[in-house]
Amino acid sequence: MTIQQIDHLHFNPQLQTLEISYDYEIIETTQTLFNWTKGTSIFDAHPFFQVLQGFEKNDPTIQDGLNFPCIHLTDLVTDRICDISITFNPSEIKIILFDYTLKYKELNQIAQQKNESILIARELELKNKYLLEKEEFKNSFIANINHEIRTPLTAIMGFVEILEKTHLTFEQEELARIIKRESRHLNALIDDMIDISKIESGTLRVVEERFAFLNLVDGFDESYSKIAEEKGLIFETNIEPGIQEYLIGDRTRTYQIINNILNNAFKFTEEGKITLSVTKNYQRTNKLSLNFKIEDTGLGILEEDIPHLFDRFTRFNLDKRITGTGLGLAIVKNLVDLLNGEIKVESKPDKGTTFNIKLPFKFEITKTTPKRKKKNYSLPESSNKYRILVVEDEEITQFLIMKILIATGNFFIDIAINGQDAITYIERRKYDLILMDLNISQLDGYQVTKMIRNNYGDKFISGLPIIGFSGKSDDATKDKCLKSGMDDFIAKPFEQEELLYKIIKQIAKKAAE
Amino acid sequence: MKLSKKVVLLGHFGVGKTSLFKRFIDNEFSEEYKVTLGVQIKKKVVILPDGRELSMIIWDAEGHSNSVEDTRKSYLLGSHAFIYVFDLTREDTYIHLNKDLTYLKENYKVPTKVLGNKLDLVNEKEMIAALKSKDIPFDCLTSAKTNKNVQQFFSDLSIEITT
Ligand SMILES: Nc1nc2c(ncn2[C@@H]2O[C@H](COP(=O)(O)OP(=O)(O)OP(=O)(O)O)[C@@H](O)[C@H]2O)c(=O)[nH]1
Ligand SMILES: [Mg+2]
Repeated sequence: MTIQQIDHLHFNPQLQTLEISYDYEIIETTQTLFNWTKGTSIFDAHPFFQVLQGFEKNDPTIQDGLNFPCIHLTDLVTDRICDISITFNPSEIKIILFDYTLKYKELNQIAQQKNESILIARELELKNKYLLEKEEFKNSFIANINHEIRTPLTAIMGFVEILEKTHLTFEQEELARIIKRESRHLNALIDDMIDISKIESGTLRVVEERFAFLNLVDGFDESYSKIAEEKGLIFETNIEPGIQEYLIGDRTRTYQIINNILNNAFKFTEEGKITLSVTKNYQRTNKLSLNFKIEDTGLGILEEDIPHLFDRFTRFNLDKRITGTGLGLAIVKNLVDLLNGEIKVESKPDKGTTFNIKLPFKFEITKTTPKRKKKNYSLPESSNKYRILVVEDEEITQFLIMKILIATGNFFIDIAINGQDAITYIERRKYDLILMDLNISQLDGYQVTKMIRNNYGDKFISGLPIIGFSGKSDDATKDKCLKSGMDDFIAKPFEQEELLYKIIKQIAKKAAE
Repeated sequence: MKLSKKVVLLGHFGVGKTSLFKRFIDNEFSEEYKVTLGVQIKKKVVILPDGRELSMIIWDAEGHSNSVEDTRKSYLLGSHAFIYVFDLTREDTYIHLNKDLTYLKENYKVPTKVLGNKLDLVNEKEMIAALKSKDIPFDCLTSAKTNKNVQQFFSDLSIEITT
């Protein structure tokens, strides 16, 4: 017996000894571990033993025998982990199986834990990566689909407005009103979706502009007082005296945050009072931090729901009459973070909810500028109608604009369906204004504008007022429009009033030159 | 005497050696990871194109954490081919591939086939490009989970080691 075999015995394994002929037949065997039969081929006992075939009887490399640790041996009934020692004697092969199943199973647990934790960590990493990619795809998808949705929506909203001006029965009027309301809601939903995708893809930029802050709050006072009156609620705004009339910050986002919270408050309050209070947290040199407190006496939120309040698509109130996208508060939270602000909620079911929002602003220490009001423009007196070229390839939008403009009785309309077409028209006829879709074929809206501005000695052509319009409503698009030489920009879907206002403004300005 | 060949599955732990083994022999797959300790051995009889029967004795060895040199030497004795498996989703399972291949080549006179497994989790085209750019050689990309290329690989191997 070798030392190793003695060592094996020391650990008290169960063992089985076998004698095998060089024909690989079992000559002798104990049956301690496996019930193998004498006279049969060892290869039928287990495929492990086929390893014997790899060695010649007189192979010098096997003179000291072979040791195979940790071999899984199974037959129909037993499953064991054995160390196997093989000795090549002149007339037979001697095999000893040492059963270490228990010892190896213990070892297995350690390896299992160690390896598994590494694999699981990697799996999580992969999943995260996959989720991130999916998010990215989703965000770019949303941004792209936007345009596709806006176009038909513009048409729906526009035609409903036209429809409302026809002779309608009471019932039809009501139906038209519902279509209009639902379209506005859909439009708001798209805005929300786009905001969320922009926030998440990190493309939402914060602007710092000087804006009439008190005016903004007055606006809330005005519009929500009306709603309060309709609902039989009280609405109050309190502004701490001494807050600057003009502030520097992101007006649009500030408006969006407060408007969303107010909107919510009105949605969930059936009786009582809603208050918007603006106070200063602190003011230092040209910086100040404002607190907006919005209190309501509405439904309130359960304590356990508060932590999920800012999650996307969370709506705790399942009352179908209260509509909403479930995106509003998620956007608010994201916007507040983006502006480096803070938002806190306190609420008691059936008592009401209080939101406290802290936002930082700057202000100019010296200048005070008088309020600018939206100026009223009217078309200059003329015995002729004004001629407008509409450059647009989508039929439905063409039709809508025509209806709006023709209904006023002041305009003639030509339609060009692409950039090249537009150039041909301009060279042939005198126009008073061009309405230019940015996204047209051959030459796009920007290119056509640049050509008009630069290629003609004829001042009448090169100075033509141009208003761009597009399903994209972001600031970058607007900037690009103005930079390319357009006079103004209007985002789809537009309201009739806004479209007419912008057209008349440009024509009046041109006439005044 | 019956034709029989010994083939050993080698590679890092968790790359899917046991899964390929089970897929090839029993056509089974499990998501659950059970570490192999030591080695398990099974036989599968395949019919070669010329009609001969080949007993493929497959040794599914425990995975290493570092280098193939850590594998117990006795497992490699008397082999006719090695299958070196790596995990396409884990770079640390193939980053030292070339070193391991050199080691096997210098010490054993049998061919080594290289398999990139878990193909179902990656983009095949991107993966191939990435492996090429990193100079990682491979003979076949497989998925034990979906059975992609598994049977084909073993059938090609059976022909290669008998001719
Ligand atoms: N998705 C996927 N998972 C796989 C594939 N092959 C194996 N797995 C999974 O990967 C894990 C490890 O597989 P095993 O086959 O046990 O790996 P191994 O190489 O035998 O691991 P060790 O025995 O520790 O060396 C298990 O959870 C398997 O389900 C595959 O092709 N695709
Ligand atoms: Mg295994």
